[in-house]
Amino acid sequence: MVNSVGIQSKNPNKLNMTSFGKADKKSQCENHDTLLYEEKKKHPITTGLKIQADKFINACTKYPAKGLKGSKNSNFYEFLTMGMVPYLVGSGMMVAVFNLASKFFNTADAVSASKLGKKMGIGVLFYGLAKTFSKKLVETPVNMKYGIDVNLPYKKVINELPEKDNLDNLVTHEYHKAYESVDFPRWDLFYNNDSFGTERNSYYKKVGKKMGIAEEDLDNADQKVKPLIKEKLVKTKLFSTLSSYLWAATGVGIAMQKPWENLKLNPVNTKGRYFNLVKDFGKDFVESCKQFVNNNSKATRYAGRILLGSAIAMTLLGNFSTLFDFNKYRGNKPQASTSLIDETKEKVVC
Amino acid sequence: MTNILNAILVNQSINPSNGGDTKPFFNISSDGKVKPKEYKGKLLPSRIFGSPIEYAKDLKKDVVSIGKAAKGQANDYELGRINDLAMKAGSLGLAAYLFVKNPLKLSKAMEIAGFGTFFASMALWPKLAIQAPLKARTGVDIHQKYIDSQGRKKMLFQDPQYVLTDLYSKEDLEKMGDKLKVSKNLPDRDNFIKQRAQKTALQGNTLWMMTAGVATPVMSALACNGLEKPINSIIEKVDIASSTRAVKNIDKQGLFAKIKNYFASKSLDKFISQNADKQMSDKLISDIASRLGARANSANVQSAIAEELKALKNTVKIDESFITNALKDRMPALNEVQKNALNQAIEHGQIKQISSILSRAANVSQVEQRNLAKEFEQILTSAKQTMEKPSVSQVADKIKALQSNVTNFANKKGILDRFISARVGDKSGTYIANQWGKVGDKLIKSLKLSGKELKAVSEGNIEIVLDKLSTLSANDKQYEKVVQELMKLIGDYETKTSSAFTSQIKGTAQSVCNAASEEMKANGFTKLADIVSNAAKKGTVENVININAAERISGAQSSFYRLLQSLDLFKGMNNGTLNTKISEVLKANGQAADDAAVGKIVEACKKVLMSATTTDYVEKLKSSGFNLSEGEYKTVMKVLFDSEADSAIEKSLKNSLGADKAKDALKGFKAYKREFMDKVANWQNGITPELSRCTVDGVTNGANAVERNNLAGKPVGNMIKDIAKKTYNSNKWLKIFGITMIALTAVTITATLLLGRKSKVEKEAEVQQKANG
Repeated sequence: MVNSVGIQSKNPNKLNMTSFGKADKKSQCENHDTLLYEEKKKHPITTGLKIQADKFINACTKYPAKGLKGSKNSNFYEFLTMGMVPYLVGSGMMVAVFNLASKFFNTADAVSASKLGKKMGIGVLFYGLAKTFSKKLVETPVNMKYGIDVNLPYKKVINELPEKDNLDNLVTHEYHKAYESVDFPRWDLFYNNDSFGTERNSYYKKVGKKMGIAEEDLDNADQKVKPLIKEKLVKTKLFSTLSSYLWAATGVGIAMQKPWENLKLNPVNTKGRYFNLVKDFGKDFVESCKQFVNNNSKATRYAGRILLGSAIAMTLLGNFSTLFDFNKYRGNKPQASTSLIDETKEKVVC
Repeated sequence: MTNILNAILVNQSINPSNGGDTKPFFNISSDGKVKPKEYKGKLLPSRIFGSPIEYAKDLKKDVVSIGKAAKGQANDYELGRINDLAMKAGSLGLAAYLFVKNPLKLSKAMEIAGFGTFFASMALWPKLAIQAPLKARTGVDIHQKYIDSQGRKKMLFQDPQYVLTDLYSKEDLEKMGDKLKVSKNLPDRDNFIKQRAQKTALQGNTLWMMTAGVATPVMSALACNGLEKPINSIIEKVDIASSTRAVKNIDKQGLFAKIKNYFASKSLDKFISQNADKQMSDKLISDIASRLGARANSANVQSAIAEELKALKNTVKIDESFITNALKDRMPALNEVQKNALNQAIEHGQIKQISSILSRAANVSQVEQRNLAKEFEQILTSAKQTMEKPSVSQVADKIKALQSNVTNFANKKGILDRFISARVGDKSGTYIANQWGKVGDKLIKSLKLSGKELKAVSEGNIEIVLDKLSTLSANDKQYEKVVQELMKLIGDYETKTSSAFTSQIKGTAQSVCNAASEEMKANGFTKLADIVSNAAKKGTVENVININAAERISGAQSSFYRLLQSLDLFKGMNNGTLNTKISEVLKANGQAADDAAVGKIVEACKKVLMSATTTDYVEKLKSSGFNLSEGEYKTVMKVLFDSEADSAIEKSLKNSLGADKAKDALKGFKAYKREFMDKVANWQNGITPELSRCTVDGVTNGANAVERNNLAGKPVGNMIKDIAKKTYNSNKWLKIFGITMIALTAVTITATLLLGRKSKVEKEAEVQQKANG
């Protein structure tokens, strides 16, 4: 799969679920990281899901095993990936805390407890969904306007050190995002990448053009565009983060409304029961949204509107901040590089 | 090389990746040599709780970082911290929403407690269950933080491939090495120690990730569970203190009230200007009444406001032009005689007479004249009524005066309501609710129910309760303890709800209502004034305040006494005095006092105290659950409510309260029984006498349903069932999650014992180096 002179293939290594958690024999010969641009373009949903599934399986199996052994190959990526475990287990536990004991209660108390339990369960679900999908509201327009996909994944090849119980299978993979770090984005993955064109700088030229830089100024597109991309990345990450927690809070707020109390999660065993469950769920969702912004209590009504309004406002502010180039509108060029070193004099780096 | 270096330097100077120091991270000496600056990072002291000043400083930095990030200039570290801050802010926003949404103070407080305990659990779990034991055994602090040259605070061991173990002093490293049992006198001991520390921390951090998901929510929920009672108690104390203070200063308008009044007045001004030209229709009157009366929280006040508004009328002069305008082209031509007659009728202002004259003037048959007269009367009356109705702008001053009067009154009434509610309000967190909770907890503990029994009682099996009460009364020491504790609580309740308290309510209600009433009268709102004051008149605000407070006090008091009465009954059963008492009553009534008859009455007495409700008393316990004959009813009532308390109760009271107070308490108990006898046992319903045919020693029919209900109190069986249900559910929940937490803690702490151990390879390496050294 490796091409000569660092040119990346349009057909990167396909994600193979069966190899998750195991050393990939085929990948022994791989020696560089691959941007999953084409893969994501073809399968925008499944690519992300497969990556998350791979990460989650490893986070539950391989990484804890390595970590608990104190493996010298354990790294920060694995530590961060293991963070998925408390997040998901914690969500389940949160639901359990409010639901598990109620089956031992008498019918009336169980019904009463299940009302709150349902709300908490739906709250946990909405928290996750709202937090995940609200980020897209800020990230997608940036991708559409500038071609900067802050979530663009790449497959990183890791050459591990030999250990006592593993002397042969030393190549593993990690799934990162090219722009996960704003300090050190993986600029190199966009050079010579034939997914974006035949030129070395194709990607940067493309982004530069979308940013409104004139064709004749794009000879050294990468140098010009990188600071601008960085700026967009920081703003996108800032506003997607800030808005995501407000949306998550709004999601839980909606889940705490009365209509959910009557949702029958175990519908009567009749034909079309799942369809009815989905229909009821949708109906309760609409009713809860209405109640969230139109509660009978004035204070609650305003509190709901403020929460929802701040989430919407933060998203719009994010869109506004990331999609409009203030420097351009002020007639300023992006900040020019200022050399701190007098290049006419010889320097010795100690 | 220069280019690369320059790029790095420029990047750093434009976008300094630091929290404070904005200078570039290099020195350029005069001879043109470029050197990195000396590293200024250091370890931070490890604490369970961080200092608030540090938190404030960090928060300030994070806020600055948000500003930088909004300009597109933040770095990874800053974005990471912004994420943590946003998570907390989002959670706080949610807690604030739920705080506003929940109507009860306890629920509001629990939302904030939930927010706090969740984040506290998230931080405390790894510190207590992993960090502390691991540090004690190995000297490695997995949460050791350091601050780098740029002022960024990070966890030293978060990235196992980049651990700045050089920050440890030689001394600390040696100590750690000793605890990690790294062999002494190794030539490269420091490196061995660093590797072992790194490995230990990696293992600890992995254990943290594996356990936090279960631990955090469970720990948080358990903490919230434990905090519920203290929070309830705090709410009670704060409410009582603040409402007492507010009542003392009831004539001073607080800032909050001023703000509320200001907005209410602005809102009314807007309403008046929007509807200025509209006539005061019935709908508009109703809208204004509900707008003005909402804060008084009284339907009667609202109706009185509507009455006052309806009374605001324009004076309409009925003259010829009025008649012509109203009838228009239907105005008949009048001859002189008719004109004179009409003028006379106009002088008297009699529409009926005017209509009659006009109908006669019309050229119609006699029969039609009658209908026409009616029609004219209708038209003229309607025209008069329409003209009488003022426009909103015409009565704007009156509406504003009404609002001012009602708002002043409502503010003061609100303070008084709060004063009463903090003590005897029908909601959680009040004094009476907490006192009742304490009684229930003490009682259920003293009954010593097993898990299975608790479940059975929670499902309504009262037989178990009866057995347990018998057992309890057989144990003198235990019995005395329960009575003492119960009486202590009743005593405290009586002090708090004594006549001084009711007098204070009555007095404050009177002064508030009278002042408001005078103010209203001065503005001419007599109907409103009448509905506000006068304690003796049914339905006035003052009367309702007094009655509601008295009912709440009496209801709770009766429930306490009913419980005491049950304990008394069971003691009597145990020492035989009850049988004697029943025999005496039976004989006095000329009935046979054999064992069977006595036994039946004993059972009936137990059942009555455990489960009889007001409805059962209405039917004189003839209903299906009791099936008592008239004679039996009288006997049961006499035994329960017309007899002295058992000496054991008296003894317990003397021991717990002292002779004088015990005497007072017994007096109160006796007075309660007498009142019950008068108002419930002797109550006779005049409408359906067949249901309430028998009384015991007289007839009462003045007691209303609420009064009787309050005197009956809560059936002891229901009370115990409710407490058992709550206790059973709570125990079940605690058992599941308490055991989960204990097991997880035990497993985690045990697991820390296995961390940081030397592997075979490490042992061999040490041996080899020793040999080489």
